[in-house]
Amino acid sequence: MILYDYVLSASCYKVRLMAALLGQSLTLRAVNFHPGREHKSPEMLALNPKGTLPVLTDGDTVLADSADILRHLTSEHPEWRSTDDDTWLAFASDLNDSVGLARLHDVIGYAADIDKTRAAGVTALRRLEAHLTEQRFDGLIFLTGKTPTIADIACFPNTALAPDGGVSLDPYPSVRLWMRAIRSLPGFIEMPGIHRLHELAHPA
Amino acid sequence: MDWIAVGLAQDVPPGVVIPSRIEDTEMAIWCTPSGRYHAWSDRCPHRGMRLSHGFVRGETLACIYHGWQYNETGSCDYIPAHPKLTPPDTICVPTYTCVEDGGVIWVSLNSGNDPLPALGARVPIRSVPVSLSAKDVAAHFGTAGFTTIAVVSDYDTLLAVQPCTDTSCILHVLATPDADPKAVSRWVEELRTTLEGVPA
Repeated sequence: MILYDYVLSASCYKVRLMAALLGQSLTLRAVNFHPGREHKSPEMLALNPKGTLPVLTDGDTVLADSADILRHLTSEHPEWRSTDDDTWLAFASDLNDSVGLARLHDVIGYAADIDKTRAAGVTALRRLEAHLTEQRFDGLIFLTGKTPTIADIACFPNTALAPDGGVSLDPYPSVRLWMRAIRSLPGFIEMPGIHRLHELAHPA
Repeated sequence: MDWIAVGLAQDVPPGVVIPSRIEDTEMAIWCTPSGRYHAWSDRCPHRGMRLSHGFVRGETLACIYHGWQYNETGSCDYIPAHPKLTPPDTICVPTYTCVEDGGVIWVSLNSGNDPLPALGARVPIRSVPVSLSAKDVAAHFGTAGFTTIAVVSDYDTLLAVQPCTDTSCILHVLATPDADPKAVSRWVEELRTTLEGVPA
């Protein structure tokens, strides 16, 4: 499988993280998204007419939607699936359009009504916090149950990167514990702005 | 106003550090692996990095930047770049009085001599940020002080109010032990909508 990848993209990181957690190796092709706009190059448009990243190719299959890619990667891993995933894959789009857009505005100068975008981010994070809090009342830490699914992997990156877009995560204790649980998963990998749990490293 | 709630114990399990604040005082709240809570100034004395970005290692809090480790009194115990050095006593983090009581983490920026707020038989449910000052929340309920506010509801609710900024505070919600926590959680979401909808 080949992933056309941009290291700072939250959506590309979803794919890298999911593959790492599954132990699935990917061939990474770095695309100069910024400032090169290489995702709009003729070669990339031939592959994905929408001109977006990530793009995953697996033989003749070409997938250009991160939710579709997560489903594809886990097609033979039912333990990473739940009947509630679709709700949270849709919610992951809300996160992408709010805290995700605010981050792109702040980090690489995307056009956005920044106050409105951040306010939408707060609304999304409040919804996430309320749901995860109710899950904790039932003794569950992940979005759909006791174990993580593609729902968690889809929602984690833009949530964890929200402070890069000026949206604080400080007041959301259930979100914090959920992110901690994801960062504790065997095989977890980092991206710039999302670090591993240092507690798990060997003491000095 | 002596004791202020800064979090719920269930949200800061052993080995976890979180950022918190009482007005302009920014704090790192952390819990040792053996379950003791501490509230410190959120600045590493070395380079000023927020200690709440750091991590708990053994019974110490370590800064994420250069790994300086601080023991439970706030004194620096270990500097990884100088492993043989015993750090001087002058390298220490300002600490605040911090206790856990009734499942709530309380901090005093004053003497800490006042008795802790009475919670009755209530148990902690959750913490909810509100885009309104603590003063405005207190005014809404017709009270001047805001350490704790008993609110009439089906759940015998009590709000421990944490003042954060001129436009934000956190409500730490407690309720009768037989209440359904999900019902209380939804009740406080509605309360927040009401509070934030009231024109200033």
